[in-house]
Amino acid sequence: MSARANSAGNRNWRFTLTLKSRETLAACAFLAPFMVFFAVFVVRAVVEAVRMSFYDWHILRPMRPYIGIENYIELINDDVWWISLQNTIVFTALTVVGTTIVALAAAVAVTRPIRAQSFFRVLLYMPSLLSVGAVGLIWVWLLNTQFGIINYGLSFLGIRPVNWLGDPGLVIPSLSLTTIWWGFGFPMLIFIAGLQGIPEQLYEAARIDGGSNRDLFFYITLPLLRPTILFVTVTGVISHFQVYGQPFIMTTGGPGRSSYSLIFYLYQIAWTAFRMGYGAAVAVCIAVIMAVMTSIQFIVLSRRIEY
Amino acid sequence: MKPERSILPQHTVTYVFLTLLGLFVVFPMLIAISQSFMTNQEVNRWPPQIIPVEPTLQAINAVLTQQDLRLDLWLRNSLIAATGYTAAVLVLCAPAAFAFARLRFPGNNILFGFLLVTIMIPSQVTLIPNYLLMRDLQWLDTFNALIFPGAANVFGVFLLRQFFMQVPRDLEEAAVLDGAGYFGRFWHVILPLSRNALTALGIFVFLFHYNDLFWPFIVTNSLETRTLPVGLAILNSSYAGQYRPMVLSGAVLSSIPILIVYIIFQRQIIQGITLTGMGGR
Repeated sequence: MSARANSAGNRNWRFTLTLKSRETLAACAFLAPFMVFFAVFVVRAVVEAVRMSFYDWHILRPMRPYIGIENYIELINDDVWWISLQNTIVFTALTVVGTTIVALAAAVAVTRPIRAQSFFRVLLYMPSLLSVGAVGLIWVWLLNTQFGIINYGLSFLGIRPVNWLGDPGLVIPSLSLTTIWWGFGFPMLIFIAGLQGIPEQLYEAARIDGGSNRDLFFYITLPLLRPTILFVTVTGVISHFQVYGQPFIMTTGGPGRSSYSLIFYLYQIAWTAFRMGYGAAVAVCIAVIMAVMTSIQFIVLSRRIEY
Repeated sequence: MKPERSILPQHTVTYVFLTLLGLFVVFPMLIAISQSFMTNQEVNRWPPQIIPVEPTLQAINAVLTQQDLRLDLWLRNSLIAATGYTAAVLVLCAPAAFAFARLRFPGNNILFGFLLVTIMIPSQVTLIPNYLLMRDLQWLDTFNALIFPGAANVFGVFLLRQFFMQVPRDLEEAAVLDGAGYFGRFWHVILPLSRNALTALGIFVFLFHYNDLFWPFIVTNSLETRTLPVGLAILNSSYAGQYRPMVLSGAVLSSIPILIVYIIFQRQIIQGITLTGMGGR
């Protein structure tokens, strides 16, 4: 009797085990393709990059000696690294602030109950579809000192020709302006979605209390949009920190090194000087900086649920 | 209390602002189009010409016929690579997202947490090792190099998992009663009900890849294997000083296909980008 019960229980136990392990097996099958690619192109690559950063790894030299933290010491004393870092920070700050303001203003205007709402939405997103190549080629010419349309327009205001891309102090703001034009569409769409999430009753109530449009914006829209603004600025910081195409196409880093960005410098080291080991060290440092920024993003974003 | 009255008709400020912003957006593109129809002399002139006096197809012809410019091939390459990449991302991410969203297995949460942490590692750190791997596999100058290295897209898994979890479980249970296995649940229930999410992610990664410059630039070397953004960079460096309208018409011509697609599918594209940008929230 007891033996029978035991064996039944056993069978039952075995049955659930097979069910469970079948589910695990299925999960493995579903995960395997992704995990194989992830292991090869992400995990292996990251480990390899860190390892390479401790070697004097030049693509044309067969000898690749281990040199400890030499690459990192060189980096600390590398003026170009610090110039590039500074340029990247200035560019990111200008671009994120400009993009956020333009995108927010555009989103507010486009969500007003006006005609041609969707026309403007479609129109304003258009530059975001262009490649950095097309954007760069168009703007290089607009910003041209001698024959550019922008200087032509300014000449009516009595302003003498400005050397937008040739002046070390102006080149980064000029690249920022180009990038704002190119990139404000995406945060605009995010803001539109955020604005549509604000209940209409709030505005109605405020209007009954005699609030002007300005009050409505500063006391309802802006505070309720705070999480979205945070999201847009932090993702903007991360994406613009990786700027490469604009200096590469529009200035090749010049004048001098005034528009070297970090990723542009990484390219110079690894693919024109072929110093893969030093390049790996630069890449690791860029990654650490960005990982720190992303962690701050996560912390700031997860704190946002206050409403 | 007296309601606030404005002398201006309603929404005037909005219209004025949007018109100015619209001009800011459109003007650079219109100038580029207009100057594509000019001669080099006409472009290099002060004051600059806005409208070509005698429109000419010289520059456009030159861009399309120069031996060292292959806009047709570059466009084809960009389309193949971006399509292949999009397909690879969806094929890899969707099943993985299904496993994370719906299957119970030991380490589910730990593994997913690990993947999320790796989002913080920017792709730049993988560039050099992956480039060397492409070289060793002799994948440089091939579509493989353009498609596979970025295909394990963690963000894609995260996003699709988010959507798959929103599919009501009852539907899956009904399928199980009808005898569906794990694959049946994935293929016949989850995927058809997540078509919007898959389209959104697809549009997002397609556009990202179509406009990418860095990776295609380092893994392609020959004229025939370049993609459009890389080709434009080459066009600029070899012809900007010599014949400016060619550079502008290259920029314009290369943008026409994507803008046509945009005008046809504007709604889907804007929705897809918004949905993806919001991270499925």
